[in-house]
Amino acid sequence: MADWVIILAVTLGYLLLSLLVGLVSGGRASGTTEGYVAGDRSLGFLVLYFIMGASIFSAFAFLGGPGWAYSRGAAAFYIIAYGILGLVPWYFFGPRVAELGRKFGYVTQAELFAHRFDSKAISAILALISIVAFLPYLTLQMSGAGYVFNVVTEGRIPVWAGAAIAYGVVLIYVFRSGVMGVGWTNTFQGLFMMALAWGLGLYLPHELYGGVTPMFEAIAAEFPEMLRAPGLNDAGERWTWGGYSSSILISVLGFSLWPHYFMKIYTARNVRTLKKTIVAYPTFQIFLVPILFIGFSGVLAFPGVEPADAILPTVITSIELPAFVVGLFCAGALAASMSTGDAILHAGGSILVRDFWQVLVDPEMDDRTQRRTIQVLVVALGAVAYYFAVISDVSLVYLLLLSYGFIAQLFPLILATFFWPRSTPAGALAGLLVGSAVVITWNLVPELQWQDIHPGVWGVVANAVTLVAVSLATEPMEEEHVEEFVVG
Amino acid sequence: MRETPRFFPSDLSDRERRIYGALTAFFFLVLLALTWPVYTLFSGIRPLVLGMPFSLFYIVVVLVVSFLVLLGLYLWEDRRGRLDDDPPGGEG
Repeated sequence: MADWVIILAVTLGYLLLSLLVGLVSGGRASGTTEGYVAGDRSLGFLVLYFIMGASIFSAFAFLGGPGWAYSRGAAAFYIIAYGILGLVPWYFFGPRVAELGRKFGYVTQAELFAHRFDSKAISAILALISIVAFLPYLTLQMSGAGYVFNVVTEGRIPVWAGAAIAYGVVLIYVFRSGVMGVGWTNTFQGLFMMALAWGLGLYLPHELYGGVTPMFEAIAAEFPEMLRAPGLNDAGERWTWGGYSSSILISVLGFSLWPHYFMKIYTARNVRTLKKTIVAYPTFQIFLVPILFIGFSGVLAFPGVEPADAILPTVITSIELPAFVVGLFCAGALAASMSTGDAILHAGGSILVRDFWQVLVDPEMDDRTQRRTIQVLVVALGAVAYYFAVISDVSLVYLLLLSYGFIAQLFPLILATFFWPRSTPAGALAGLLVGSAVVITWNLVPELQWQDIHPGVWGVVANAVTLVAVSLATEPMEEEHVEEFVVG
Repeated sequence: MRETPRFFPSDLSDRERRIYGALTAFFFLVLLALTWPVYTLFSGIRPLVLGMPFSLFYIVVVLVVSFLVLLGLYLWEDRRGRLDDDPPGGEG
Protein backbone atom coordinates (compact mmCIF):
# COMPACT_ATOMS: atom_id res chain seq x y z
CA MET A 1 0.00 0.00 0.00
CA ALA A 2 1.31 3.46 -0.89
CA ASP A 3 2.36 5.60 2.04
CA TRP A 4 -0.11 8.36 1.32
CA VAL A 5 -2.98 5.88 1.44
CA ILE A 6 -2.01 4.80 4.96
CA ILE A 7 -1.59 8.44 6.00
CA LEU A 8 -4.96 9.34 4.58
CA ALA A 9 -6.61 6.34 6.22
CA VAL A 10 -5.24 7.31 9.66
CA THR A 11 -6.37 10.91 9.14
CA LEU A 12 -9.85 9.90 8.04
CA GLY A 13 -10.07 7.48 10.95
CA TYR A 14 -9.36 10.37 13.29
CA LEU A 15 -12.03 12.51 11.60
CA LEU A 16 -14.58 9.75 11.97
CA LEU A 17 -13.80 9.39 15.68
CA SER A 18 -14.13 13.15 16.17
CA LEU A 19 -17.49 13.06 14.48
CA LEU A 20 -18.72 10.21 16.67
CA VAL A 21 -17.55 11.87 19.88
CA GLY A 22 -19.11 15.15 18.77
CA LEU A 23 -22.48 13.64 17.89
CA VAL A 24 -22.85 11.39 20.92
CA SER A 25 -22.08 14.21 23.35
CA GLY A 26 -24.99 16.34 22.15
CA GLY A 27 -27.42 14.16 24.06
CA ARG A 28 -25.90 15.37 27.32
CA ALA A 29 -27.45 18.84 27.19
CA SER A 30 -31.03 20.04 27.05
CA GLY A 31 -32.59 21.26 23.80
CA THR A 32 -32.77 24.87 24.96
CA THR A 33 -30.56 27.77 23.88
CA GLU A 34 -28.93 27.66 27.32
CA GLY A 35 -28.14 24.00 26.71
CA TYR A 36 -26.83 24.65 23.22
CA VAL A 37 -24.66 27.67 24.09
CA ALA A 38 -23.74 27.19 27.75
CA GLY A 39 -24.19 23.43 28.21
CA ASP A 40 -26.83 24.05 30.91
CA ARG A 41 -23.97 25.47 33.03
CA SER A 42 -23.04 21.92 33.95
CA LEU A 43 -19.55 21.28 32.55
CA GLY A 44 -17.10 19.55 34.84
CA PHE A 45 -13.37 20.05 35.31
CA LEU A 46 -12.10 17.59 32.71
CA VAL A 47 -14.04 18.98 29.77
CA LEU A 48 -13.48 22.61 30.72
CA TYR A 49 -9.76 21.93 31.15
CA PHE A 50 -9.49 20.54 27.64
CA ILE A 51 -11.62 23.27 26.10
CA MET A 52 -9.19 25.84 27.47
CA GLY A 53 -6.21 23.67 26.63
CA ALA A 54 -7.35 23.40 23.05
CA SER A 55 -7.29 27.18 22.97
CA ILE A 56 -3.49 26.92 23.10
CA PHE A 57 -3.30 24.27 20.46
CA SER A 58 -4.78 26.18 17.60
CA ALA A 59 -3.35 25.92 14.13
CA PHE A 60 -1.31 28.94 15.22
CA ALA A 61 0.50 27.05 17.96
CA PHE A 62 0.91 23.87 15.98
CA LEU A 63 2.16 25.42 12.75
CA GLY A 64 2.87 29.03 13.76
CA GLY A 65 4.75 28.16 17.00
CA PRO A 66 7.37 25.99 15.28
CA GLY A 67 7.37 28.53 12.43
CA TRP A 68 8.29 31.33 14.84
CA ALA A 69 10.95 29.26 16.59
CA TYR A 70 12.38 28.31 13.20
CA SER A 71 12.52 31.80 11.71
CA ARG A 72 12.61 34.12 14.73
CA GLY A 73 14.19 32.02 17.48
CA ALA A 74 13.67 33.31 21.03
CA ALA A 75 10.89 35.63 19.84
CA ALA A 76 8.71 32.51 19.99
CA PHE A 77 9.14 32.40 23.79
CA TYR A 78 6.57 35.16 24.00
CA ILE A 79 3.89 32.59 23.17
CA ILE A 80 4.73 30.70 26.37
CA ALA A 81 5.28 33.88 28.38
CA TYR A 82 1.87 35.46 27.84
CA GLY A 83 0.12 32.17 28.52
CA ILE A 84 1.57 32.14 32.04
CA LEU A 85 -0.64 35.09 32.97
CA GLY A 86 -3.25 34.79 30.25
CA LEU A 87 -5.93 33.09 32.30
CA VAL A 88 -5.06 34.53 35.74
CA PRO A 89 -7.59 37.41 35.48
CA TRP A 90 -10.32 34.75 35.34
CA TYR A 91 -9.40 33.62 38.81
CA PHE A 92 -10.50 36.99 40.09
CA PHE A 93 -13.42 38.00 37.90
CA GLY A 94 -14.51 34.58 36.61
CA PRO A 95 -16.62 33.50 39.61
CA ARG A 96 -18.43 36.82 39.53
CA VAL A 97 -19.16 36.48 35.80
CA ALA A 98 -20.46 32.95 36.36
CA GLU A 99 -22.65 34.07 39.27
CA LEU A 100 -24.21 36.92 37.31
CA GLY A 101 -24.65 34.63 34.31
CA ARG A 102 -26.62 32.19 36.42
CA LYS A 103 -28.68 34.97 37.97
CA PHE A 104 -29.57 36.84 34.79
CA GLY A 105 -29.32 34.02 32.23
CA TYR A 106 -26.40 35.33 30.16
CA VAL A 107 -24.78 33.03 27.66
CA THR A 108 -22.62 35.53 25.77
CA GLN A 109 -20.03 38.07 26.82
CA ALA A 110 -21.80 41.17 25.51
CA GLU A 111 -24.96 40.35 27.49
CA LEU A 112 -23.07 41.02 30.72
CA PHE A 113 -21.62 44.36 29.59
CA ALA A 114 -24.81 45.51 27.87
CA HIS A 115 -26.83 44.78 31.00
CA ARG A 116 -24.34 46.44 33.36
CA PHE A 117 -24.29 49.60 31.24
CA ASP A 118 -27.88 49.29 30.09
CA SER A 119 -26.85 49.90 26.49
CA LYS A 120 -27.89 48.23 23.26
CA ALA A 121 -25.11 50.07 21.44
CA ILE A 122 -22.47 48.32 23.57
CA SER A 123 -24.01 44.97 22.75
CA ALA A 124 -24.00 45.67 19.00
CA ILE A 125 -20.46 47.07 18.98
CA LEU A 126 -19.10 44.13 20.96
CA ALA A 127 -20.81 41.74 18.55
CA LEU A 128 -19.17 43.50 15.62
CA ILE A 129 -15.73 43.55 17.25
CA SER A 130 -16.07 39.83 18.02
CA ILE A 131 -16.97 38.88 14.47
CA VAL A 132 -14.22 41.06 12.96
CA ALA A 133 -11.71 39.44 15.32
CA PHE A 134 -13.05 35.92 14.73
CA LEU A 135 -13.13 35.86 10.96
CA PRO A 136 -9.39 35.97 10.21
CA TYR A 137 -8.75 33.38 12.94
CA LEU A 138 -11.34 31.02 11.57
CA THR A 139 -10.05 31.49 8.04
CA LEU A 140 -6.52 30.69 9.18
CA GLN A 141 -7.65 27.49 10.90
CA MET A 142 -9.51 26.37 7.80
CA SER A 143 -6.75 26.96 5.31
CA GLY A 144 -4.39 25.25 7.78
CA ALA A 145 -6.58 22.14 7.69
CA GLY A 146 -6.72 22.19 3.89
CA TYR A 147 -2.97 22.61 3.69
CA VAL A 148 -2.32 19.57 5.90
CA PHE A 149 -4.46 17.34 3.66
CA ASN A 150 -2.74 18.70 0.57
CA VAL A 151 0.83 18.12 1.80
CA VAL A 152 0.37 14.58 3.08
CA THR A 153 -1.47 13.27 0.06
CA GLU A 154 1.29 14.75 -2.08
CA GLY A 155 -1.16 17.10 -3.72
CA ARG A 156 -3.83 14.52 -4.49
CA ILE A 157 -6.37 16.27 -2.27
CA PRO A 158 -6.50 19.99 -3.12
CA VAL A 159 -6.62 22.56 -0.33
CA TRP A 160 -10.26 23.43 -1.00
CA ALA A 161 -11.34 19.81 -0.61
CA GLY A 162 -9.22 19.25 2.51
CA ALA A 163 -10.69 22.32 4.20
CA ALA A 164 -14.18 21.24 3.14
CA ILE A 165 -13.77 17.72 4.56
CA ALA A 166 -12.36 18.80 7.94
CA TYR A 167 -14.82 21.63 8.43
CA GLY A 168 -17.72 19.58 7.12
CA VAL A 169 -17.12 17.34 10.13
CA VAL A 170 -16.84 20.34 12.47
CA LEU A 171 -20.07 21.86 11.17
CA ILE A 172 -21.98 18.63 11.66
CA TYR A 173 -21.08 18.24 15.32
CA VAL A 174 -21.32 21.93 16.19
CA PHE A 175 -24.67 22.16 14.41
CA ARG A 176 -26.07 19.19 16.24
CA SER A 177 -24.42 19.21 19.62
CA GLY A 178 -23.48 22.83 20.31
CA VAL A 179 -21.04 23.46 23.13
CA MET A 180 -21.19 19.82 24.24
CA GLY A 181 -19.84 18.75 20.86
CA VAL A 182 -17.09 21.35 21.11
CA GLY A 183 -16.18 20.29 24.65
CA TRP A 184 -16.02 16.55 24.21
CA THR A 185 -14.23 16.61 20.85
CA ASN A 186 -11.70 19.03 22.39
CA THR A 187 -11.09 16.53 25.16
CA PHE A 188 -10.40 13.80 22.67
CA GLN A 189 -8.34 16.09 20.41
CA GLY A 190 -6.44 17.55 23.36
CA LEU A 191 -5.23 14.18 24.66
CA PHE A 192 -4.14 13.36 21.16
CA MET A 193 -2.14 16.57 20.72
CA MET A 194 -0.42 16.27 24.12
CA ALA A 195 0.96 12.87 23.20
CA LEU A 196 2.03 14.10 19.80
CA ALA A 197 3.73 17.28 21.03
CA TRP A 198 6.03 15.46 23.45
CA GLY A 199 6.59 12.57 21.05
CA LEU A 200 7.70 14.71 18.14
CA GLY A 201 9.34 17.43 20.23
CA LEU A 202 11.76 15.00 21.80
CA TYR A 203 12.10 12.63 18.86
CA LEU A 204 13.08 15.18 16.20
CA PRO A 205 16.04 16.77 18.07
CA HIS A 206 17.21 13.29 18.93
CA GLU A 207 16.95 12.04 15.36
CA LEU A 208 18.55 15.11 13.76
CA TYR A 209 21.16 16.15 16.36
CA GLY A 210 21.42 13.35 18.91
CA GLY A 211 19.44 15.17 21.62
CA VAL A 212 18.09 18.50 22.83
CA THR A 213 21.39 19.75 24.31
CA PRO A 214 23.46 19.05 21.16
CA MET A 215 20.75 20.76 19.10
CA PHE A 216 20.87 23.99 21.10
CA GLU A 217 24.70 23.82 21.32
CA ALA A 218 24.83 23.66 17.54
CA ILE A 219 22.39 26.57 17.10
CA ALA A 220 24.27 28.59 19.75
CA ALA A 221 27.52 28.10 17.83
CA GLU A 222 26.02 29.01 14.47
CA PHE A 223 23.30 31.60 15.21
CA PRO A 224 23.68 32.83 18.81
CA GLU A 225 21.38 35.81 18.14
CA MET A 226 18.50 33.39 17.67
CA LEU A 227 18.60 32.02 21.19
CA ARG A 228 19.20 35.33 22.95
CA ALA A 229 15.87 36.92 23.88
CA PRO A 230 14.02 38.71 22.40
CA GLY A 231 15.12 36.90 19.23
CA LEU A 232 14.54 38.20 15.72
CA ASN A 233 11.79 40.18 14.01
CA ASP A 234 10.09 39.00 10.85
CA ALA A 235 12.81 40.60 8.71
CA GLY A 236 15.41 38.46 10.47
CA GLU A 237 16.95 41.39 12.37
CA ARG A 238 17.15 41.66 16.13
CA TRP A 239 13.65 42.24 17.61
CA THR A 240 13.24 45.18 20.01
CA TRP A 241 12.44 44.78 23.69
CA GLY A 242 9.56 47.19 23.17
CA GLY A 243 8.02 44.95 20.52
CA TYR A 244 8.55 41.78 22.55
CA SER A 245 7.33 43.17 25.88
CA SER A 246 4.29 44.97 24.51
CA SER A 247 3.23 41.87 22.56
CA ILE A 248 3.19 39.98 25.84
CA LEU A 249 1.34 42.78 27.63
CA ILE A 250 -1.40 43.11 25.03
CA SER A 251 -1.84 39.34 24.82
CA VAL A 252 -2.13 39.05 28.60
CA LEU A 253 -4.78 41.78 28.65
CA GLY A 254 -6.68 40.32 25.71
CA PHE A 255 -6.40 36.57 26.18
CA SER A 256 -8.94 36.07 28.94
CA LEU A 257 -11.44 38.32 27.16
CA TRP A 258 -11.67 36.55 23.82
CA PRO A 259 -15.44 36.10 23.52
CA HIS A 260 -15.32 32.39 22.68
CA TYR A 261 -13.24 31.67 25.82
CA PHE A 262 -15.07 34.15 28.01
CA MET A 263 -18.38 32.43 27.21
CA LYS A 264 -16.99 29.20 28.61
CA ILE A 265 -17.09 30.77 32.09
CA TYR A 266 -20.87 30.33 31.92
CA THR A 267 -20.52 26.63 31.16
CA ALA A 268 -18.72 25.83 34.43
CA ARG A 269 -20.68 23.74 36.91
CA ASN A 270 -19.51 25.79 39.90
CA VAL A 271 -16.78 28.08 41.27
CA ARG A 272 -14.60 25.14 42.24
CA THR A 273 -14.60 23.76 38.69
CA LEU A 274 -13.79 27.14 37.22
CA LYS A 275 -10.90 27.85 39.59
CA LYS A 276 -9.50 24.38 39.26
CA THR A 277 -9.40 24.82 35.48
CA ILE A 278 -7.50 28.10 35.81
CA VAL A 279 -5.00 26.61 38.24
CA ALA A 280 -4.40 23.61 35.97
CA TYR A 281 -4.06 25.66 32.81
CA PRO A 282 -0.22 26.00 32.90
CA THR A 283 0.06 22.20 32.72
CA PHE A 284 -1.21 22.61 29.17
CA GLN A 285 1.01 25.61 28.56
CA ILE A 286 4.14 23.56 29.24
CA PHE A 287 3.35 21.54 26.11
CA LEU A 288 4.43 24.48 24.02
CA VAL A 289 8.04 23.78 25.01
CA PRO A 290 8.38 20.61 22.89
CA ILE A 291 6.36 22.30 20.14
CA LEU A 292 9.06 24.97 19.95
CA PHE A 293 11.77 22.26 19.93
CA ILE A 294 10.21 21.02 16.71
CA GLY A 295 10.77 24.41 15.09
CA PHE A 296 14.32 24.74 16.45
CA SER A 297 15.15 21.30 15.07
CA GLY A 298 14.69 22.67 11.57
CA VAL A 299 17.03 25.67 11.93
CA LEU A 300 20.26 23.92 10.90
CA ALA A 301 18.85 20.77 9.32
CA PHE A 302 16.42 22.42 6.89
CA PRO A 303 17.49 26.00 6.15
CA GLY A 304 15.47 28.24 3.85
CA VAL A 305 11.97 26.77 4.23
CA GLU A 306 9.33 29.25 3.02
CA PRO A 307 6.86 30.02 4.47
CA ALA A 308 8.33 29.35 7.93
CA ASP A 309 4.97 27.94 9.07
CA ALA A 310 5.55 24.98 6.78
CA ILE A 311 8.57 23.84 8.80
CA LEU A 312 6.70 21.15 10.76
CA PRO A 313 5.15 19.38 7.74
CA THR A 314 8.47 19.79 5.91
CA VAL A 315 10.48 18.12 8.66
CA ILE A 316 7.89 15.38 9.06
CA THR A 317 7.84 14.48 5.39
CA SER A 318 11.63 14.85 4.92
CA ILE A 319 12.81 12.30 7.46
CA GLU A 320 12.10 8.61 7.28
CA LEU A 321 9.05 8.19 9.48
CA PRO A 322 6.60 5.30 9.28
CA ALA A 323 3.49 6.33 7.31
CA PHE A 324 1.36 5.57 10.35
CA VAL A 325 3.20 8.18 12.43
CA VAL A 326 2.89 10.78 9.70
CA GLY A 327 -0.82 10.01 9.64
CA LEU A 328 -0.99 10.65 13.37
CA PHE A 329 0.77 13.96 12.89
CA CYS A 330 -1.78 15.00 10.25
CA ALA A 331 -4.60 14.06 12.53
CA GLY A 332 -2.93 16.10 15.30
CA ALA A 333 -2.60 19.16 13.08
CA LEU A 334 -6.23 18.80 12.06
CA ALA A 335 -7.20 18.43 15.71
CA ALA A 336 -5.38 21.68 16.47
CA SER A 337 -7.19 23.50 13.71
CA MET A 338 -10.60 22.00 14.37
CA SER A 339 -10.59 22.37 18.15
CA THR A 340 -10.12 26.11 17.76
CA GLY A 341 -12.35 26.51 14.73
CA ASP A 342 -15.31 24.75 16.31
CA ALA A 343 -15.29 27.02 19.37
CA ILE A 344 -15.12 30.14 17.20
CA LEU A 345 -17.93 28.99 14.89
CA HIS A 346 -20.14 28.13 17.82
CA ALA A 347 -19.43 31.40 19.64
CA GLY A 348 -19.82 33.46 16.46
CA GLY A 349 -23.28 32.10 15.71
CA SER A 350 -24.41 32.61 19.29
CA ILE A 351 -23.09 36.17 19.42
CA LEU A 352 -24.73 37.21 16.14
CA VAL A 353 -28.11 36.02 17.35
CA ARG A 354 -28.04 37.00 21.02
CA ASP A 355 -26.05 40.23 20.89
CA PHE A 356 -26.94 41.63 17.52
CA TRP A 357 -30.13 40.30 15.98
CA GLN A 358 -32.08 39.85 19.19
CA VAL A 359 -31.00 43.20 20.63
CA LEU A 360 -31.50 45.35 17.56
CA VAL A 361 -34.13 43.58 15.49
CA ASP A 362 -36.26 41.00 17.23
CA PRO A 363 -36.29 41.06 21.05
CA GLU A 364 -39.31 38.72 21.15
CA MET A 365 -37.53 35.79 19.53
CA ASP A 366 -38.51 32.56 21.33
CA ASP A 367 -36.02 30.01 22.56
CA ARG A 368 -36.63 27.48 19.82
CA THR A 369 -36.20 30.03 17.05
CA GLN A 370 -33.04 31.29 18.73
CA ARG A 371 -31.45 27.90 18.77
CA ARG A 372 -32.43 27.33 15.13
CA THR A 373 -31.08 30.70 14.04
CA ILE A 374 -27.79 30.12 15.84
CA GLN A 375 -27.42 26.83 14.01
CA VAL A 376 -28.10 28.46 10.65
CA LEU A 377 -25.60 31.24 11.38
CA VAL A 378 -22.93 28.73 12.41
CA VAL A 379 -23.20 27.27 8.91
CA ALA A 380 -23.28 30.72 7.30
CA LEU A 381 -20.21 31.87 9.22
CA GLY A 382 -18.43 28.69 8.19
CA ALA A 383 -19.28 29.44 4.56
CA VAL A 384 -17.93 33.00 4.76
CA ALA A 385 -14.67 31.83 6.34
CA TYR A 386 -14.43 29.08 3.74
CA TYR A 387 -14.77 31.69 1.01
CA PHE A 388 -11.85 33.69 2.41
CA ALA A 389 -9.81 30.57 3.13
CA VAL A 390 -9.86 28.95 -0.30
CA ILE A 391 -11.67 31.09 -2.87
CA SER A 392 -10.94 34.77 -2.29
CA ASP A 393 -7.49 36.26 -2.87
CA VAL A 394 -8.02 38.87 -0.18
CA SER A 395 -5.53 38.31 2.61
CA LEU A 396 -6.91 38.58 6.12
CA VAL A 397 -3.50 38.69 7.75
CA TYR A 398 -3.95 42.39 8.24
CA LEU A 399 -7.14 41.81 10.24
CA LEU A 400 -5.31 39.24 12.30
CA LEU A 401 -2.86 41.91 13.44
CA LEU A 402 -5.75 44.11 14.46
CA SER A 403 -7.76 41.48 16.27
CA TYR A 404 -5.71 41.23 19.48
CA GLY A 405 -5.58 45.02 19.64
CA PHE A 406 -9.37 45.11 19.45
CA ILE A 407 -10.01 42.39 21.99
CA ALA A 408 -7.68 44.04 24.52
CA GLN A 409 -10.03 47.05 24.45
CA LEU A 410 -12.40 45.00 26.61
CA PHE A 411 -9.94 45.13 29.52
CA PRO A 412 -10.75 48.64 30.76
CA LEU A 413 -14.41 47.75 30.27
CA ILE A 414 -14.32 44.74 32.54
CA LEU A 415 -12.45 46.66 35.24
CA ALA A 416 -15.08 49.39 35.09
CA THR A 417 -17.86 46.80 35.14
CA PHE A 418 -16.80 45.20 38.40
CA PHE A 419 -14.70 47.73 40.27
CA TRP A 420 -15.80 51.24 39.43
CA PRO A 421 -19.44 52.04 40.24
CA ARG A 422 -19.14 55.57 38.89
CA SER A 423 -18.47 54.38 35.30
CA THR A 424 -21.33 55.25 32.96
CA PRO A 425 -22.72 53.93 29.64
CA ALA A 426 -21.41 56.97 27.76
CA GLY A 427 -17.97 56.47 29.29
CA ALA A 428 -17.85 52.77 28.45
CA LEU A 429 -19.02 53.35 24.90
CA ALA A 430 -16.68 56.28 24.27
CA GLY A 431 -13.76 54.28 25.68
CA LEU A 432 -14.43 51.35 23.34
CA LEU A 433 -14.80 53.59 20.29
CA VAL A 434 -11.74 55.74 20.99
CA GLY A 435 -9.61 52.68 21.88
CA SER A 436 -10.58 50.87 18.68
CA ALA A 437 -10.03 54.01 16.59
CA VAL A 438 -6.53 54.42 18.04
CA VAL A 439 -5.70 50.78 17.25
CA ILE A 440 -6.81 51.23 13.64
CA THR A 441 -4.99 54.56 13.24
CA TRP A 442 -1.72 53.27 14.68
CA ASN A 443 -1.89 50.32 12.31
CA LEU A 444 -2.58 52.49 9.28
CA VAL A 445 0.08 55.11 10.02
CA PRO A 446 3.42 53.40 10.69
CA GLU A 447 5.07 56.79 11.47
CA LEU A 448 3.17 56.82 14.77
CA GLN A 449 5.10 53.73 15.91
CA TRP A 450 7.49 54.21 18.80
CA GLN A 451 9.92 51.53 19.99
CA ASP A 452 7.83 48.90 18.20
CA ILE A 453 5.15 49.16 20.90
CA HIS A 454 2.00 47.21 19.96
CA PRO A 455 -0.79 49.59 18.77
CA GLY A 456 -3.17 47.86 21.17
CA VAL A 457 -1.26 49.36 24.12
CA TRP A 458 -1.95 52.92 22.96
CA GLY A 459 -5.55 51.88 22.35
CA VAL A 460 -5.96 50.59 25.91
CA VAL A 461 -4.42 53.75 27.38
CA ALA A 462 -6.64 56.04 25.28
CA ASN A 463 -9.62 53.83 26.09
CA ALA A 464 -9.05 53.98 29.86
CA VAL A 465 -8.50 57.75 29.90
CA THR A 466 -11.62 58.34 27.81
CA LEU A 467 -13.70 55.95 29.92
CA VAL A 468 -12.79 57.79 33.12
CA ALA A 469 -13.13 61.30 31.71
CA VAL A 470 -16.47 60.77 29.98
CA SER A 471 -17.89 58.84 32.95
CA LEU A 472 -17.06 61.68 35.32
CA ALA A 473 -18.62 64.18 32.92
CA THR A 474 -21.90 62.27 32.64
CA GLU A 475 -24.70 61.42 35.07
CA PRO A 476 -23.97 58.41 37.30
CA MET A 477 -26.11 55.31 36.80
CA GLU A 478 -28.78 54.28 39.26
CA GLU A 479 -27.03 53.00 42.36
CA GLU A 480 -29.30 50.04 42.93
CA HIS A 481 -28.65 48.70 39.43
CA VAL A 482 -24.88 49.19 39.60
CA GLU A 483 -24.59 47.48 43.00
CA GLU A 484 -25.81 44.25 41.39
CA PHE A 485 -22.54 44.11 39.48
CA VAL A 486 -19.73 45.85 41.29
CA VAL A 487 -17.70 44.31 44.06
CA GLY A 488 -19.18 45.49 47.31
CA MET B 1 -23.03 56.72 44.65
CA ARG B 2 -19.47 55.66 45.45
CA GLU B 3 -17.03 57.60 43.33
CA THR B 4 -13.88 55.60 43.94
CA PRO B 5 -13.09 52.10 42.75
CA ARG B 6 -13.33 49.29 45.27
CA PHE B 7 -11.37 46.09 44.77
CA PHE B 8 -12.35 43.99 47.77
CA PRO B 9 -15.74 42.78 48.91
CA SER B 10 -16.59 44.31 52.27
CA ASP B 11 -16.82 40.92 54.00
CA LEU B 12 -13.09 40.19 53.66
CA SER B 13 -10.98 40.36 56.79
CA ASP B 14 -7.89 42.59 56.93
CA ARG B 15 -5.70 39.54 56.69
CA GLU B 16 -7.52 38.32 53.59
CA ARG B 17 -7.17 41.76 52.04
CA ARG B 18 -3.44 41.71 52.67
CA ILE B 19 -3.14 38.26 51.09
CA TYR B 20 -5.13 39.19 47.97
CA GLY B 21 -3.18 42.45 47.74
CA ALA B 22 0.11 40.57 47.92
CA LEU B 23 -1.10 38.19 45.21
CA THR B 24 -1.97 41.04 42.89
CA ALA B 25 1.52 42.44 43.45
CA PHE B 26 2.97 39.01 42.78
CA PHE B 27 1.28 38.70 39.39
CA PHE B 28 2.47 42.18 38.43
CA LEU B 29 5.98 41.03 39.31
CA VAL B 30 5.51 37.98 37.09
CA LEU B 31 4.60 40.29 34.22
CA LEU B 32 7.73 42.36 34.90
CA ALA B 33 9.82 39.21 35.14
CA LEU B 34 8.71 38.18 31.67
CA THR B 35 9.28 41.52 29.95
CA TRP B 36 11.65 44.46 29.80
CA PRO B 37 13.57 45.29 31.95
CA VAL B 38 13.80 42.24 34.24
CA TYR B 39 13.87 39.63 31.50
CA THR B 40 16.88 41.37 29.87
CA LEU B 41 18.96 40.13 32.81
CA PHE B 42 18.11 36.51 32.03
CA SER B 43 17.97 36.63 28.27
CA GLY B 44 21.32 34.99 27.55
CA ILE B 45 22.05 31.52 26.20
CA ARG B 46 24.29 30.05 28.88
CA PRO B 47 24.26 28.03 30.96
CA LEU B 48 22.14 25.53 29.07
CA VAL B 49 19.79 23.87 31.58
CA LEU B 50 18.00 20.60 30.80
CA GLY B 51 19.21 21.14 27.25
CA MET B 52 17.45 24.50 26.96
CA PRO B 53 19.06 27.90 26.49
CA PHE B 54 18.89 29.87 29.73
CA SER B 55 16.45 32.36 28.15
CA LEU B 56 13.92 29.54 27.70
CA PHE B 57 14.67 27.71 30.94
CA TYR B 58 14.03 30.95 32.85
CA ILE B 59 10.55 31.24 31.33
CA VAL B 60 9.78 27.66 32.28
CA VAL B 61 10.87 28.47 35.87
CA VAL B 62 8.55 31.50 35.98
CA LEU B 63 5.75 29.31 34.64
CA VAL B 64 6.28 26.72 37.37
CA VAL B 65 6.55 29.32 40.17
CA SER B 66 3.41 31.10 38.97
CA PHE B 67 1.58 27.77 38.80
CA LEU B 68 2.62 26.86 42.35
CA VAL B 69 1.49 30.22 43.75
CA LEU B 70 -1.91 29.92 42.07
CA LEU B 71 -2.19 26.34 43.32
CA GLY B 72 -1.35 27.57 46.83
CA LEU B 73 -4.09 30.18 46.59
CA TYR B 74 -6.58 27.55 45.47
CA LEU B 75 -5.71 25.22 48.33
CA TRP B 76 -5.84 28.09 50.84
CA GLU B 77 -9.29 29.13 49.61
CA ASP B 78 -10.38 25.52 49.68
CA ARG B 79 -9.30 25.11 53.31
CA ARG B 80 -11.28 28.19 54.26
CA GLY B 81 -14.35 26.82 52.52
CA ARG B 82 -14.27 29.70 50.05
CA LEU B 83 -14.75 27.50 47.01
CA ASP B 84 -18.14 26.19 47.97
CA ASP B 85 -19.97 29.26 49.19
CA ASP B 86 -20.21 32.70 47.60
CA PRO B 87 -17.14 33.57 45.57
CA PRO B 88 -14.81 36.04 47.29
CA GLY B 89 -14.68 38.04 44.03
CA GLY B 90 -12.55 41.12 44.07
CA GLU B 91 -9.36 41.82 42.20
CA GLY B 92 -7.38 39.95 44.80
